[in-house]
Amino acid sequence: MPDPISRCTSCGIPLSREHDVMFICPNCNNVQLGRCGNCRNQSAIYICPGCGFEGP
Amino acid sequence: MTEEQKASELLIDEDTYLTSGVHIGTQQKSADMKKFIFKVRSDGLYVLDIKKTDERLRTAAQMISRFKPEEVLVVSARQYGQRPVRQFSNLIGCHSFPGRFVPGTLTNPALDVYIEPKILIVTDPAADQQALKEAINSRIPIIGLCDANNETKYVDLAIPVNNKGRRSLAVAYWLLAREVLKLRGDITGDDDFKAEIKDFEATL
Ligand SMILES: [Zn+2]
Ligand SMILES: [Zn+2]
Repeated sequence: MPDPISRCTSCGIPLSREHDVMFICPNCNNVQLGRCGNCRNQSAIYICPGCGFEGP
Repeated sequence: MTEEQKASELLIDEDTYLTSGVHIGTQQKSADMKKFIFKVRSDGLYVLDIKKTDERLRTAAQMISRFKPEEVLVVSARQYGQRPVRQFSNLIGCHSFPGRFVPGTLTNPALDVYIEPKILIVTDPAADQQALKEAINSRIPIIGLCDANNETKYVDLAIPVNNKGRRSLAVAYWLLAREVLKLRGDITGDDDFKAEIKDFEATL
């Protein structure tokens, strides 16, 4: 399983670039989620591996 | 109260949601907002699913309540959102920029208005472009009030809501403020929340 702290929750690429973001799951407050700039730009769905919350 | 009853209960009675037009969307719908749309009316207006609005207001309040008040920034370039964001920020103790967002507010430390929030709330991702852009560069999460026609580009948590109506924006920010205060333990319950929806309404 990819490290949830440093990878994009949607596509799995490592987060290191501009426009990436990390935040705690707004639903369960338990899991660190990541979104890469590309997935954010495309409004790609992310699913919290902890609680199944589907964003954005 | 059983879990089921609790889950089916809305933050305010459905009538208040409906008479405030919180669910009234737009003539166009975006692909991003499709999952929040309940139906299309015979006049072609897309109607938002009030249950999803309610759920997302709760989720957004949870997210906001985890930050220190001074780490939160709320903006509204839209006129009808300006009083709501001002009232919200007064009650929550966060930063707000109603009206024109000064370029560099989040990116140029030389400016007097420069701040370093940890989360941004936009009233309309399309109208609040400048704030959105700067939050993207600052790599902070973004909560967006999104109408049926909004794209959710770079929005990390969308709240499906009519973000064009005066009353609708008042209800959305009033509820957000109440829920954040409850979660923070600043008020004990709904009855302890003294602000009224009309205090959040833009004056005509
Ligand atoms: Zn990605
Ligand atoms: Zn979660």
